Amino acid sequence: MVAQKINHKLIKQALTIRTVEEKFLSLFSEGKLNGTVHTCVGQEFSALAFAGQLKKKDFVFSNHRCHGHYLAFTNDTRGLLAELLGKASGTCGGIGSSQHLCNSNFFSNGIQGGIMPVAAGYALGNKLKKNGAIGLVYIGDGTLGEGSVYETMNIISKWEIPLLVVCENNFYAQSTPQSVNLAGDIQARAAAFGIQTYKGHTSNADELMEDAKAAIEYVREQGKPCFFLVETFRLNPHSKGDDDRPAEEIEQYKEKDFLTIFSKEFPEYYNNYATAIQTEIDLLVENILPETEQPIEAYYEKAVSVNSTSWQPIQAINKRQVELLNGFFKKTIVENEQMLFLGEDILSPYGGAFKVAKDLSVIAPAQVFGTPISESAIAGISNGLALNGFKPFAEIMFGDFITLAFDQIVNHASKFYHMFNKKVSCPVVIRTPMGGKRGYGPTHSQTLDKFLVGIDNVKTVAIHTFFDPAIIFENILLEQHPVIVIENKTDYGKKILHYQAPNFIYERNEDLFPVVKIKPVLAEPTLTIVAYGGMADTVNNMLLAIFLETDCKPELIIPSLISNLPVDLIVQSVLKTKNLLVIEEGSAFAGIGAELIAQVVEQIDVKIKVKRIAAYPVPIPSVKTLEHIVLPEKERIIKEIKAHF
Amino acid sequence: MAIVQQIKVPLISVNDTSLTVVDILFTHAAKVQKGTIVLVFETSKTTYDVVAEEDGYIAYYCKAGEEYDVNFLVATIYSTASEVPQQLEAGNNNSIHVLTSAPLEVSKTWQGETFFSAAAIALMDVKGTPRSAFAGRDFVGISDVEEMLGIVKIRPSESIVKVEKKSLQPAPNTDVVRLEKLSSNKKIEIAYLSAVQASGLTSTINAWIETEGIFVHINQSLQFLKNSLLPIILYETARLLQKYPALNAYFAGDEIAYYKKVNIGFAIDINKGLKVLTIADTNLKGIGEIENEVIDLSNKYLDDKLHINDLTNIGFTVTDLSGEGVAFFKPLVNMMNSAILGVSSIDKKLQRCMLSLTFDHRVTEGKLAAQFLNELTQRVESYQSKHHPLSNQNIGCFKCFKLLQDDLSNVGFAKCITPKGEEGYICQSCLKGF
Repeated sequence: MVAQKINHKLIKQALTIRTVEEKFLSLFSEGKLNGTVHTCVGQEFSALAFAGQLKKKDFVFSNHRCHGHYLAFTNDTRGLLAELLGKASGTCGGIGSSQHLCNSNFFSNGIQGGIMPVAAGYALGNKLKKNGAIGLVYIGDGTLGEGSVYETMNIISKWEIPLLVVCENNFYAQSTPQSVNLAGDIQARAAAFGIQTYKGHTSNADELMEDAKAAIEYVREQGKPCFFLVETFRLNPHSKGDDDRPAEEIEQYKEKDFLTIFSKEFPEYYNNYATAIQTEIDLLVENILPETEQPIEAYYEKAVSVNSTSWQPIQAINKRQVELLNGFFKKTIVENEQMLFLGEDILSPYGGAFKVAKDLSVIAPAQVFGTPISESAIAGISNGLALNGFKPFAEIMFGDFITLAFDQIVNHASKFYHMFNKKVSCPVVIRTPMGGKRGYGPTHSQTLDKFLVGIDNVKTVAIHTFFDPAIIFENILLEQHPVIVIENKTDYGKKILHYQAPNFIYERNEDLFPVVKIKPVLAEPTLTIVAYGGMADTVNNMLLAIFLETDCKPELIIPSLISNLPVDLIVQSVLKTKNLLVIEEGSAFAGIGAELIAQVVEQIDVKIKVKRIAAYPVPIPSVKTLEHIVLPEKERIIKEIKAHF
Repeated sequence: MAIVQQIKVPLISVNDTSLTVVDILFTHAAKVQKGTIVLVFETSKTTYDVVAEEDGYIAYYCKAGEEYDVNFLVATIYSTASEVPQQLEAGNNNSIHVLTSAPLEVSKTWQGETFFSAAAIALMDVKGTPRSAFAGRDFVGISDVEEMLGIVKIRPSESIVKVEKKSLQPAPNTDVVRLEKLSSNKKIEIAYLSAVQASGLTSTINAWIETEGIFVHINQSLQFLKNSLLPIILYETARLLQKYPALNAYFAGDEIAYYKKVNIGFAIDINKGLKVLTIADTNLKGIGEIENEVIDLSNKYLDDKLHINDLTNIGFTVTDLSGEGVAFFKPLVNMMNSAILGVSSIDKKLQRCMLSLTFDHRVTEGKLAAQFLNELTQRVESYQSKHHPLSNQNIGCFKCFKLLQDDLSNVGFAKCITPKGEEGYICQSCLKGF
């Protein structure tokens, strides 16, 4: 008798999950449901055992197959139905739909594996807050192919993060049987990281409920992570029609399914419950269907940015940029408990590859986290911390390595705010040095800014040596959304405004991320040059040479916020000079120069001459002579200006 | 809350160290919109409109009709009305406002180093322009030098003679032709000449000068340029131009610019590029002085010692190809001129020389040009020995045989047809009778 230890409230919850999902399938076949659904029919007790037994202060991160987890944790049937029907009253206003849900500490994302470090970060936040809350993250056996899973398991074990990882093993990765792709033992994977493991099966619901409770208690009481392998079987296809599994295998599991057995053992109860739940859900759907959808204005409104035209002079500071950065972080980490600093090799005495984090771990040991070489986890944990109300500053040791964190930036940080219908924000900050001229070679020298500025809703800032970088970081502290800061390796050692070209005025405006303008004292400029980051200093050093050798009177504009360029200021300048040159340290194709020139040309109706000077489209060579040829340097810049303008 | 624009007297040309405010378009503290003209300056050459760069409220620190030094703060645009200070006391009329009286933060005239671009230096060297001409500037590029020299602004990289895309002229075939880049001097010359000729509205008229006996006395007045008509032509043209101001002027868009002075230029090309050299105030100089200036300027040209003033502010040009054996040619009007006079070689058999006047029809017209040319021809021909009293010792009254040189009446003899049907002269006494 299956139901002896399982109370009927749980059975009704399981039946609700199944009925809701079957309703989704029927609505889909009627053409009333946009997108897709991944049902968990047959897996309901995995949801109830873990998400259903958590406290409200705990949190759940789930994946693409999340309806059961959502209902078990929130009981918000109506919100889920309306969400999948695309209505404004849905839990995420219809934006996220089936795979992207967010409500009362419940989050789901359709990216495999990426939620692991985010959940770890969120759980680390709870640990820092000492609020007794734990975290739960659901992954599937298919997710075991993702590297971020292992990066995270290493860290949650080492840092003792209270996170319960539930791996739902339904033996198929979409349609591929596990035997094809999975090597070794699943539990042994977690055990190898020193993580406590458990195992259960949904067909043995009462035991699963008890073991789950024990695992939850372990995590809460020990403050350590736990890995729970739940064997289960999905009775429906991965999505809708995509099922190549043998019919007899499915039939065999159907026979073992808790609700099937219950319906046979207690048909009267089952029928009563099923009818009542079906009626309730049908009624809810009937009410929801005529509802309105979210208007585009509520979701997206074009941001109009106007740059300050109030200019103030800038002064030299007799300190190196890295000293100012380090000074800012030392001061702020003490003043602001929410500020955290994460990265590889940042702990004292080393203090990071470029010493930006020098002594931070001595001053504020609880807020500084030296990480393993795990860029995806560094970014993901930072995302989770940011979602949990912290202000994490993640350091990626070399800009080239940021590609390893791309999924966290593109699919998580940049999307959380919108896909969760503006219920949360993710004010994460990722800092990284880019640029060459240090002989570090192809994988430690590239400027990848063009890949970053293309990420919507993430600000990318390129700092330079024309004013105290603290001005920029003070404003980054106030940002409610993700910011990537590109620093420059050769700038670290330079003093602020260490060189001022004679006969030029140096000033900056009052934007939050100020724009620097360097213009002739008296003469009307005849060439607008835009350069940023480390390239700005290179160009500044050659302003006089540009004039003497090319006859162009340059006005140099240095944006800081390169993901939203100060186009109106540049247009003002270009309307005077009729010539626009963009110099960038990355390669030109589809780069910042291309974007800027397109925007400028869109705004003006006069003919102008434009030019991009950029790195050649090859990996940056280590050998000095070639490195200096591949990157834009003085001789080439002057030659190209002469030839073009 | 911010100052959105400070309007200072701009340095538009080195000649204009102060400008006159000729128009104030709003009242003090009025709301102005981005893009509207708020103030107009008058420079020595034109007017200069100042446009609001942003929306705001304007405070004026100047008065219309008054002159202000470069960099004097004449107006400020504020973002809000409350920021606009009360109107300041305006200064006395006709006074020049200098920097020290500026009400707000102002920058002084640039006293630092002046940097010259390589291209600017090259042009200045060619033109003999001194560096000191650009004192007070921060950067001097080629366009600044061209502006000072009155040269049309062209970029070295721009092709002057553009082959239009639809042109029938194919790209040069280097198997057939050898290509040689135009020198920057040649480009400048083309630009110079294109400025007027490109309009297609020029016309050339020609007239003969009879030259028989013309040098008998001219040569007595000349030291170096004996047997040259140039000094006399310059001399007479200068005087005539006062009567024909349209030929001492140029077409300037919506208006005609008339030169206040008569500065005639003469073209010269002795292996150092075509140049037009100025004889300042030509109309105030005698033939000897003009000849001396022609010689001096030519020497400077050959020695590369020309000064900027030797090349600028030319109102009319004379081009003399008389030494080149040409019978006739069509001269091309220079930029910022409305006419040019060409002097061909003297035909020794026929004892005549062709004068050709090309003029800009946008400034003047054929009839007036013809009158000018005829009058000039007559004036030059008046130097012929037969017209000169001292050369006519043999002129005598056909009736009483009294010689002109012996006539005491100081009236002269009248030309007449004698009863024999011949040309002759008759004295006052014989004409009027006793």
